[in-house]
Amino acid sequence: MDDDDHRVVDLVKELVHRLLCTSSQNPNPPSFTQQEYNQALKYSLRILSSRMTPSIAPDDSAMAESIKRRLATAGKSSEALTFADLYAKFSHKNGPGSVRNKWAVLYLLKTISEDRKVRKNQFSNRISNGFLDSALAGGLPTLFEGDEISGGSGEFGNSSVGRSTDGFVDLRGSSENVRNLRGFSILENEKNEVSLSGLTANMKKLKVLGDASSSLRTREHVEKRYNGGILVVSKDPENIRDMAYRDFVDLIKEENEVTEVILVRDVLYACQGIDGKYVKFDEKADAYVLPELIKVPRATRIMVRKLCELGWLFRKVKAYITESLDRFPAEDVGTVGQAFCAALQDELSDYYKLLAVLEAQAMNPIPLVSENASSGNYLSLRRLSVWFSEPLVKMRLMAVLVDSCKVLKGGAMAGAIHMHAQHGDPLVNDFMKRSLRRVCSPLFEMVRTWVLEGELEDIFAEFFVLSQPVKAESLWREGYRLHAAMLPSFISQSLAQRILRTGKSINFLRVCCEDRGWADAATEAAAAAGTSTGRGGLGYGKTDALESLVTEAARRIDKHLLDVMYKQYKFKEHCLAIKRYLLLGQGDFVQYLMDIVGPELSEAANTISSFKLAGLLESAIRSSNAQYDDPDILERLRVKMMPHNTGDRGWDVFSLEYDTSVPLNTVFTESVMSRYLRIFNFLWKLRRVEHALIGVWKNMKPNCVTSRFFVKLPDAVKLHLILTSRKCQVLWDEMNHFVSNLQYYIMFEVLEVSWSNLVKELEAAKDLDDLLAAHEKYLYSIIEKSLLGERSQNLNKILFTLFDLILRFRSQADRLYEGINELQSRTTDSSSQDKARLQRPSNKKFSESGSWLGEGRKDLTRRAGEFLRNMGQDIDAIAKEYSSVFDGFISQLPIQQHVDLKFLMFRLDFTEFYSQLRPSTGGKLLL
Amino acid sequence: MDPEAARTARDSLELVFHMSNILDTGLDRHTLSILIALCEMGLNPESLAAVVKELRRESPPSSSTETVATPP
Repeated sequence: MDDDDHRVVDLVKELVHRLLCTSSQNPNPPSFTQQEYNQALKYSLRILSSRMTPSIAPDDSAMAESIKRRLATAGKSSEALTFADLYAKFSHKNGPGSVRNKWAVLYLLKTISEDRKVRKNQFSNRISNGFLDSALAGGLPTLFEGDEISGGSGEFGNSSVGRSTDGFVDLRGSSENVRNLRGFSILENEKNEVSLSGLTANMKKLKVLGDASSSLRTREHVEKRYNGGILVVSKDPENIRDMAYRDFVDLIKEENEVTEVILVRDVLYACQGIDGKYVKFDEKADAYVLPELIKVPRATRIMVRKLCELGWLFRKVKAYITESLDRFPAEDVGTVGQAFCAALQDELSDYYKLLAVLEAQAMNPIPLVSENASSGNYLSLRRLSVWFSEPLVKMRLMAVLVDSCKVLKGGAMAGAIHMHAQHGDPLVNDFMKRSLRRVCSPLFEMVRTWVLEGELEDIFAEFFVLSQPVKAESLWREGYRLHAAMLPSFISQSLAQRILRTGKSINFLRVCCEDRGWADAATEAAAAAGTSTGRGGLGYGKTDALESLVTEAARRIDKHLLDVMYKQYKFKEHCLAIKRYLLLGQGDFVQYLMDIVGPELSEAANTISSFKLAGLLESAIRSSNAQYDDPDILERLRVKMMPHNTGDRGWDVFSLEYDTSVPLNTVFTESVMSRYLRIFNFLWKLRRVEHALIGVWKNMKPNCVTSRFFVKLPDAVKLHLILTSRKCQVLWDEMNHFVSNLQYYIMFEVLEVSWSNLVKELEAAKDLDDLLAAHEKYLYSIIEKSLLGERSQNLNKILFTLFDLILRFRSQADRLYEGINELQSRTTDSSSQDKARLQRPSNKKFSESGSWLGEGRKDLTRRAGEFLRNMGQDIDAIAKEYSSVFDGFISQLPIQQHVDLKFLMFRLDFTEFYSQLRPSTGGKLLL
Repeated sequence: MDPEAARTARDSLELVFHMSNILDTGLDRHTLSILIALCEMGLNPESLAAVVKELRRESPPSSSTETVATPP
């Protein structure tokens, strides 16, 4: 114990020595006397013994923090950083040899540095006050004027052992004190007095000097003992000055009914939205004001009013927050709205902190002009206005935001704040970005879950993707859409589209394809986009991260979706099947079907049974190459009877249908299928016409049976007959030319070309939208090129008239050849005796004419002639009508815009027969 | 004292000295080491600071002190 004490005393001695050595700024450093030394030593021991415990609780990091903050507020942020660094190293030093009581060291440093600063300030204050003119002129006067310099440097500096006796006694007294200090007994006044008695007047002065800047406790302590000394020094001139100040103070007090301290407090209250004692909220003026009745200078009144703007703004912001939070459970404020409130509250909590500090400072009395500041931390209205300048700007921003966002929600709100963030002032910009980060976090979270999980967690309709409850087949097209009003401007339209499509793909996969594989794709995408995109990782200002996440997710999920469409649902196979059956690409099948359903379809529409037709379709499949197709595809092929009117034939109502299920009906929607149906009807009709022409040809082609029969006819009839049949053949030929060329054009120039384009585009498709677009284009091009489109309606009508004419021709021709056959059989019957002659060569027909003369033969010849004349007239009429209608077709064809129709024209008019026949049209053609 | 401990002590002192410079206390290394030792012995840092302050305030002249301290 004694050891310890001695050690302490030794250390203190050494400390005092060093301090005296270094601190005196005289040219010759060790200029203090032995006496001075002893006094200083005693004094320091007394100080050390006076306080047992520190006045604040020990806490290393809090202390370090406060030092840092002090450095930072003093504008030395780099030094604050260095300090933090050093402290971190320092606090890691543990174990033997390290400083255990780190807190004490830190606190010591802090207190010393603060003391130095205060002292410096005081000097500068005093200098500026002009009290120290003399002192300035004479440099720094020495403190110990009255001391005789008895001790040299050598005398003390050599050894610390060589001391005078009274010094030793004092020291012993001090060592007692140290014992006290260490907490063994209470400080003994007597001993103190003993040691005090040795102190000289100079030492007293020293204390007085220290007193001005030392902490409150020290001052009290010292003042108790040295008050007298100070009073003695006061002189008259200062008193006069004092009197003047006192008068001034009285004047101020008279003018101000309320003291500034109270006003400051009131303003602080007002800034928290509370009415103060004097400063109250005036509903009429819509501001915090000082009532007129209170007597204060105009300047003060204006200043108070200005400061209270902050209170007014605060009231507004606070009211918004409370209102939003109050109505939250009942009404839909929305997550973004809540985030906005939270961001505002954060800002407000900073503001509250400031107010708390200011309130603490407001407790310090405001010194009047005469009083020198004992503490720098008092608060006047003017100081307050400086303090308030930054919060005021922020509060104004918040109020502006509150005003503009009151009615908005969700993405629209974020967008509105984003517009405010486009500001040149870094303060405003920072503030807005900070709040935007908060405000947007729910929004970005929604994007994340939407893109990676396809979930739409949007109970308040804040997200820019809207969902609508729809059936599965229209999920892709109509299930989700962008909500333009909720799209914040920092997300571009194309990015939004991609976000929409990615989530839609996931939902499509989940709902329509019943696929689970997308989850892997999504996880992969999240991993590929990096760690910054984890939950809560996205934020405002990180548009790149968002974009990369969306791109990755979109790429993978779209690829997966297409895989599913192609592989699992065989999209391409279905397309091909539709082309083969609905677009009549499978020739043998169509031919066979036409053959077997033909007779059935010639019946009236209402007598046809669709079951029978289905059976016929089945047998057509069985007997053509179609039987080797995938049974799944064949099952989908159905007969469809369209609603029919009276008088419709089976041909008018019959059509084939291809049944598509989810998810394929997203592509093959009803409208798409109805377009396919139109194409089918057209192609079917074309086929039927072709079929009909071929059927006629079977009858009318010249064969030896008919030619032998001709020979036996009388000349007049024969001539007539040959003429008619020739007319018929010419017309047939013309029709056949047209139909077969049209058929060729449709099959090869239209269907195959469009198909090969479709296949190419399907290969290149990156997402379902591409696929839909490719298919749409395919269908559109077929419709346009085969004259089914909007623009070629006229032409289409003409085409169908032509078809009808051809069919009429077919029936006429059938009748003609039926008639001829009948004639033939009758002739054969009536002249059975001439049977042998039938075998005769035809060049002998002239000689045979005589044999026709028999009973009823005249009558027969007359009837045949009549029949042939009628038929000839009918065919003439048809030919005339046909050629005029066809003329119209040919002349209208070049008007069509589509370039591929030129090929058709070229084919039809290959020999320039038509253009020469009708020079006017020909001229057009050449253009 | 083993060399490890000595090194730690030296490092610590160095760190404290840096911090002291940043805070502009005007103390030299030696004084600082004494102060640390005293702190380690459990003395109140407040009073140590007071001692340092008191003993270093020679420079200002006494006259000015008196003027300032005059009660109003």
